[in-house]
Amino acid sequence: MSKLIMFHGAECPHCRAMHPLVDRLEKEAGIVVERLEVWHNEKNADAMRSYRPLITAKCGGQLRVPTFIKVEANDAVCGEIPYEKLKEWASK
Amino acid sequence: MKKRYWRCFVCNDIHIGVRPPELCPTCKVVHAYVEITAREARTILGLLHEGKDFEPEDFRKAIETFTEGNPFMVNPDRERVDGLIGGILGNESRHGLKYCPCRLMTKEVEEDLKIVCPCNFTIHETYKDIEKGECWCSLFIKR
Repeated sequence: MSKLIMFHGAECPHCRAMHPLVDRLEKEAGIVVERLEVWHNEKNADAMRSYRPLITAKCGGQLRVPTFIKVEANDAVCGEIPYEKLKEWASK
Repeated sequence: MKKRYWRCFVCNDIHIGVRPPELCPTCKVVHAYVEITAREARTILGLLHEGKDFEPEDFRKAIETFTEGNPFMVNPDRERVDGLIGGILGNESRHGLKYCPCRLMTKEVEEDLKIVCPCNFTIHETYKDIEKGECWCSLFIKR
């Protein structure tokens, strides 16, 4: 299983909407997701910036949150997405 | 095109752009703008600035006025907007400008100016050519 990171913002409504889905993903699919808040934690922000080429290629040319990263697969998806789509992407 | 700085010689309005306005929007004098340096512009703006940041209601009013006459409006979901405005003003307080809480600064000035709220969301794929389009964070939605 590839390591999964969720970059999110504390005041981002799309991120808030995704947290329960990520909780479910962890519980049902046994996938561990490292959640990194980026507007109140500069270390996390720098971590997100380190994936800039990957994220911008997948997310409209910008560093958008929420963004999910599969580290080993070098893949990313961003935005508020349905649970089944998230699960399918995360399990690939 | 490099933007330059201009000052109205009558009322001291400051304009930033590739050319000066023909007509000063404040005092209505024509051909009133003279080029100045960035430092002069910063000094004048600093002297005129009252030093008071927007309260949430001030910003709400500013963006509601901004949307008047436009094909988009502020999201009617009050709770959602309150949370977003809190994030935007918090980002201004901590990071200097009203950055979108649903994106992250790159630390490159030109790029980061693109995520200052309101951003030019009308060109984004979440808004353009979409019937119920909205900006990335959903603060603005199509009417």
